[in-house]
Amino acid sequence: MSVTSFLNLTVNGITVGMIYALIALGYTMVYGILEFINFAHGEVFTIGGYFGAIFLTWIIIQPGMPFVLKITLIILAFLFSIIATSLLGETVYLIAYKPLVGKSSRIGPLLSAIGVSIVLQNLILLIFGTTPITMPVEAIPRGFFIIGDAYIRHIGLIIIGITCISMFILSLYVKKSRMGQAMRATSQDIEAAEMMGINTNRIISITFIIGSALAAVAGILVCMYYGTLKFNIGFLYGLKAFTACVVGGIGSIPGAFIGSLFIGLIENYSIGLKFNLLGIFVALVFLLGTYYQFYLLPKKAKAGIKFIAPLFSKREEEKGSLVTTEKKTKKDLMSMEEKEMAKKAYYFGPLLIFFNFKKKNPSSFVAFHVRQSIKISFFNLFVFITMILMLFIFPNFQISSQWKDVVTYLMLILILIVKPSGLLGENIPEKV
Amino acid sequence: MKILRVENLTKRFGGLYAVNNLSFSLKKGEILSIIGPNGSGKTTLFNLITGIYPPTEGKIFLKDDDITGLRPDKIAHKGIKRTFQTLRVFPNMTILENVLVGMHPIIEENIFNSIFHPPIMKRQQKEATEKAISILSFFGTRLTGTRLHHPANSLSYANRRRLEICRALASDPKVLLLDEPAAGMNPKESLEIMDQIKQIRDKGYSIILIEHDMKVVKGASNRVIALDYGEKIAEGTPKEVSEHPRVIEAYLGKKVAKNA
Amino acid sequence: MIIMKKNDPTLGEKTKIIFMKIPTKAYIVITILIAILYPLLIMYGTAGQLWLRLAVRTEILVLLALGLNLIIGDTGLLNLGYAAFFAVGAYLTAIFASPRFGFDLPFWILFLASGVTAGFFGFLVGLPTLKLRGDYLAIVTLALGESTRLTLNNWDYLTNGPGGIPGIYHPSFFGYPIDSYVKFYYLTLIIILISIVVLNNLKNSKLGRSLNAMRENEIAAECMGIDTTKAKILSFVISSVFAGLAGSIFASFQTFINPTNFVFMISTMIVCMVVLGGMGSIPGVIVGAIVLDTLPEIIRQTFSVWLPSVFGSDFYANWPHILKDLFINFDRYRMLFFGILIVLVILLKPEGLIPNKRRQKELRETDPREISESEKTLFDVEEGKMDVKV
Repeated sequence: MSVTSFLNLTVNGITVGMIYALIALGYTMVYGILEFINFAHGEVFTIGGYFGAIFLTWIIIQPGMPFVLKITLIILAFLFSIIATSLLGETVYLIAYKPLVGKSSRIGPLLSAIGVSIVLQNLILLIFGTTPITMPVEAIPRGFFIIGDAYIRHIGLIIIGITCISMFILSLYVKKSRMGQAMRATSQDIEAAEMMGINTNRIISITFIIGSALAAVAGILVCMYYGTLKFNIGFLYGLKAFTACVVGGIGSIPGAFIGSLFIGLIENYSIGLKFNLLGIFVALVFLLGTYYQFYLLPKKAKAGIKFIAPLFSKREEEKGSLVTTEKKTKKDLMSMEEKEMAKKAYYFGPLLIFFNFKKKNPSSFVAFHVRQSIKISFFNLFVFITMILMLFIFPNFQISSQWKDVVTYLMLILILIVKPSGLLGENIPEKV
Repeated sequence: MKILRVENLTKRFGGLYAVNNLSFSLKKGEILSIIGPNGSGKTTLFNLITGIYPPTEGKIFLKDDDITGLRPDKIAHKGIKRTFQTLRVFPNMTILENVLVGMHPIIEENIFNSIFHPPIMKRQQKEATEKAISILSFFGTRLTGTRLHHPANSLSYANRRRLEICRALASDPKVLLLDEPAAGMNPKESLEIMDQIKQIRDKGYSIILIEHDMKVVKGASNRVIALDYGEKIAEGTPKEVSEHPRVIEAYLGKKVAKNA
Repeated sequence: MIIMKKNDPTLGEKTKIIFMKIPTKAYIVITILIAILYPLLIMYGTAGQLWLRLAVRTEILVLLALGLNLIIGDTGLLNLGYAAFFAVGAYLTAIFASPRFGFDLPFWILFLASGVTAGFFGFLVGLPTLKLRGDYLAIVTLALGESTRLTLNNWDYLTNGPGGIPGIYHPSFFGYPIDSYVKFYYLTLIIILISIVVLNNLKNSKLGRSLNAMRENEIAAECMGIDTTKAKILSFVISSVFAGLAGSIFASFQTFINPTNFVFMISTMIVCMVVLGGMGSIPGVIVGAIVLDTLPEIIRQTFSVWLPSVFGSDFYANWPHILKDLFINFDRYRMLFFGILIVLVILLKPEGLIPNKRRQKELRETDPREISESEKTLFDVEEGKMDVKV
């Protein structure tokens, strides 16, 4: 195993992971709001790719065309595909899902989504047949770097770039804009949001449109990366992207990004690498997940302080204290012990808080978050240890490429079974 | 004799104390009412006792049996049954079937019997049905007769509450937890349900009752516990508790309490 | 009924009333009689053989649909990898009753073993997955179905890969061979009848009630003493057993199986049958399976054989190409048709062709916890009357 082929696998893994991320966003946003799996999303992705490829074939990209014109045409193709696919996504929502939203049966929307998925896949099959559609060669950036023996294509870097930019814009949109705020409110509690005057129907529509648009981008990028696109590709991509959402913690946008990266890399490594290196990779990821849990802790604890302040004030009042709530700052409301704890948590990072927890501080509410985090990260540590053990047991085991898909599926099943709460913890509000 | 004992029970959601350091006990054959303003942790207390949430701290004993942290179905088998404030009858099952589901802990049936229905099981089923009807007839003709085979979603709110009580009673529980049984009933009906709860008590069941209707509380209960912000603020006979200054304060606010 | 007398019922209502007056037992007897007599009706000619062969295939699908109904209809969970359990049963029978490894075990042992093995497979899968959310289960079973098929495709030593296992022996019971379509038809019919009795018993038992209770309100079911995980696993296992049994019959009937018999399409087709027929209703599911399996064949026969033979071969001359293609090559459009059907049924008639009365309201109503206003007032009035009487 040379370093260069490792580099190759890594870049490929990241590229594929980015594509999963674009698809995964559609799943995770819809799941966050409606709590159902949009099975048809994989097909929407395929159709997006088909639209792009058809557009570029249709306007005939010539070999002698000037560079600027070519770029313009490709951008036009993207726009065309994004618009057409968004319309498709919205139509699917209006026809097949909207009448079912809010009904008591949970299995209904799921079945409807499967029906739509079958319909879309068979429509592609009937219109274009089983032969895969090809992207015109002129539309594909064909340059590459060579680092050692590693061979890195420009298109891979373009995919990474486009995904990162759209992720950044999207998170900014969801965090900062009014629409994004409404979106988050809707995903917290759809009825409460409606009562607050948010047009939840519109929010859901927009969610479907954004998801479909991103899937369309992913479709064209995949078609450029591999040169062709087959009618049933959406099934596998959709499945992987959904698993990526679950790995990252369903409902969270950064979670989808990180989960997709993980799936993309592990998929490439599991075939290309011997077991020992694969083990190290998996172990590292889960160790990082654990660390991230602790990293988030101070923030959570801070939120807890804000949240609990009125309660503390109440209790003091009852005890007969003359100091009113308004005059107190939030810091004064905590006991010394808790203040120390929060301070340490905030400044000295994850390790310290972990050791502090071990000393047992039962009354501290910070300890609650520590307990939660330890619960979530317990499994990560477990995987870390098993993977290290695996290294010693099967150091030279390698999976043959024939079993690639089976390995992928089994991995997906395993991840869904053992890690349904995700690496970063899921972002679905509990609805009791 | 204490049939249910709760010691230092605490439940936190994030930083919020839903139930805070609560201790009380239930004697055999008494009705203990729990009152308190909305959000004072009454239903959370029921959820803790029946195992829907595990408590953050504290212990729950049924007689001398520690049942803290057991799963709801195990706790139901031990003999604690409840009704729900937000009605949770099985809407598409018939009234009879609802009660038969309630009998789950006392029906013994293995998978072989479920599949092949040997004659012994037919007899068993007949007995179970008869028992279910006798329980349902506690509420007169409201739930029996032709209604027996109607789906539960054809019932009115009040009758659903009655059905929930029957369903909980079906397995002869040691402790019965009633979560606002008189909600949604008119004054006449709530007086009726008050009498019926007393009758159930007289049959030997021990009952914990959550209720907003102070008439029902005063009329039915032997003892009352008042909660506010998850803490016990008063305990005693209905009269004592309803005159306790902190209870008045909790319900009506501080200023009113001072003026009074 | 009083209202009925005031307004004259329309013709549709009249026929409905007539049909409702026929007791359920009569329906059952008539259906069984038709099922028994069916081979006699079409025994003549080669076309008859074709229809009989189709009938056996339909019977196997009915068995599968009945098993899947237990999971989708009664428990309210979605299993999208049902073909995997079907495949386990079929391959077990194929391996132990074919020249591939030289085994020739008696059919009834293999039949039972297939059921048990598929059930065990279901147990292994269900144990960790059934604790998950319902929709995660759908994804897990989907991936499971595909990975099982791919494993069968790749594991050359055991399954001969894509080549499949040919020459599976026909079953025989104590020297009496089951080797013709008619005999297979009756064998499967008996198994179906037994299955229906078993499933019906299950419905009226403690387990059946707990499954329904769980589907309607999981928390309340738990508080009534139902171990939900155990009940879910039990129903998953029993449903897998049915798939295994069906697989065993399928293998010995086809005498040749390969991984393409167990693709994702089969799983969705069975889901479609259950949904169309009516989730949770045994007669509904049977009708759904029969309709969906025979309808494409009838359409194909009608448009490619019968109509041209009646109206002459230039019958299609003036038809638009797409329409002609649609009717003659209906097989190509079958999955599209199924997909549209699932969506339409879920949107317009979620309770299916022959609804299970219990589920009808659940699928229609917006929220089971809330009674509609009209219903509420209706019953409040009734209550009032009762109070006056008392």
